[in-house]
Amino acid sequence: MTIVAVTACPTGIAHTYMAAEQLEKTGKKLGIPVRVETQGAMGIENELSPEEIRDAAAVVLAVGIPVQKRERFEGKKVYEISPGEAIKNPEAVLLKIKNDLGS
Amino acid sequence: MKANRLKQFLLSGVSYAIPFVASGGILIAISIAFAPMTAKGPDFSNAPFLKLINDIGSAAFAFLIPVLSGYIAFGIADRPGLVPGFVGGYIAGQVGAGFLGGIVSGLLAGFLVFWIKKLKPPRYLRPIMPILVIPVLSSLVVGFVMFKIIGAPIRDLMAAIQHWLTIMNTGNQVILGIILGSMIAFDMGGPVNKVAFFFGAAMIQKGNFAVMGACAAAICIPPLGLGLATLLNRRLWTEQEKEAGLAALAMGAIGITEGAIPFAAADPLRVIPVIMVGSSVGSVIAMLGKVGDHAPHGGPIVLPVVDHRLIYCLAIVAGMITVALLMTFIKKRLNRSRSQ
Repeated sequence: MTIVAVTACPTGIAHTYMAAEQLEKTGKKLGIPVRVETQGAMGIENELSPEEIRDAAAVVLAVGIPVQKRERFEGKKVYEISPGEAIKNPEAVLLKIKNDLGS
Repeated sequence: MKANRLKQFLLSGVSYAIPFVASGGILIAISIAFAPMTAKGPDFSNAPFLKLINDIGSAAFAFLIPVLSGYIAFGIADRPGLVPGFVGGYIAGQVGAGFLGGIVSGLLAGFLVFWIKKLKPPRYLRPIMPILVIPVLSSLVVGFVMFKIIGAPIRDLMAAIQHWLTIMNTGNQVILGIILGSMIAFDMGGPVNKVAFFFGAAMIQKGNFAVMGACAAAICIPPLGLGLATLLNRRLWTEQEKEAGLAALAMGAIGITEGAIPFAAADPLRVIPVIMVGSSVGSVIAMLGKVGDHAPHGGPIVLPVVDHRLIYCLAIVAGMITVALLMTFIKKRLNRSRSQ
């Protein structure tokens, strides 16, 4: 089971990258591979490939602004949270998804 | 409409507008800082190069409201929202409706286009919808509304706010200082912080530098104060926190409130109220001392473009000490109750 995620905050210099780091780090700890794309002040970085999105079991959008290229996630199971939630409590976020997916 | 969605739309505009604010604001501030000051403001008659920098900065700043409006509409309706959003924002600037007008025009343009996009036009019209029908129709509607219906009332509201800011008495100055300081510290660079910051930046454009002055002091106090706290009593803090403290001091010095986040994330219920108090102390002192900031940025780094520099420094130091002492006091009590 892999999870793909997009992080974005209004300024795009701090929260965006902190949320990305927390999700990746916590994913590693819990044994859930998490691939994160950041949409910060530098634009889209580490963009998710169509294959990665297709193969992902769930999508996490940790965003404070509208997501760019949202149509890529149509038909996927999407969890939308704030960047703050991903920074403060990434474990609860990922465990909830794991639970929902029943694996 | 969920409030959360609405907030996202507004922040979409803010996120694209911030680099324009920085570019324009800092260039203008540099030119003013080096030009000789007269009673009528900076004198560029003998400084053509500074005048050039000022003109370039002004050009960048002129995009503030159109970009804010355009990207609010973009957040709601995607690409087709851009044209009416920009046009509406430009008109908001022209009729004097300022950044409030820009927010309204952006929302109006976004929702209008969102609605037009849902219509199912006949097949032969479909290709010309995005390049002809939507831009023309939506610009016409948004432009008409901004020029003829809501532009003037918003202009009057903005004028009233500015007037209130200039005649504000001491009591109100204290209240505004507390509000601005608390908002700046509350989420350390997040949406609430950005609202206060944006208000300050918009007021600079209108020639009121006091709001930004209060924000500028508040912006750097959370990281500087927490950094100071880690130096004040070393054994209250873990190795990690001491390291974060040094980083926070550096970030505070250049006006990045985000430097306080590691502390607040670890202990939000104690740290956030403390830094709100500290930033409020700084804002209130800056307000009462008539500190003005000509650049839309904060911290010690903007000192060259600040009016009443001594009081500005005093405001920052007072806020830092407030945070450091409160934090030390709380940490000590916490340790004591844990060891009991």
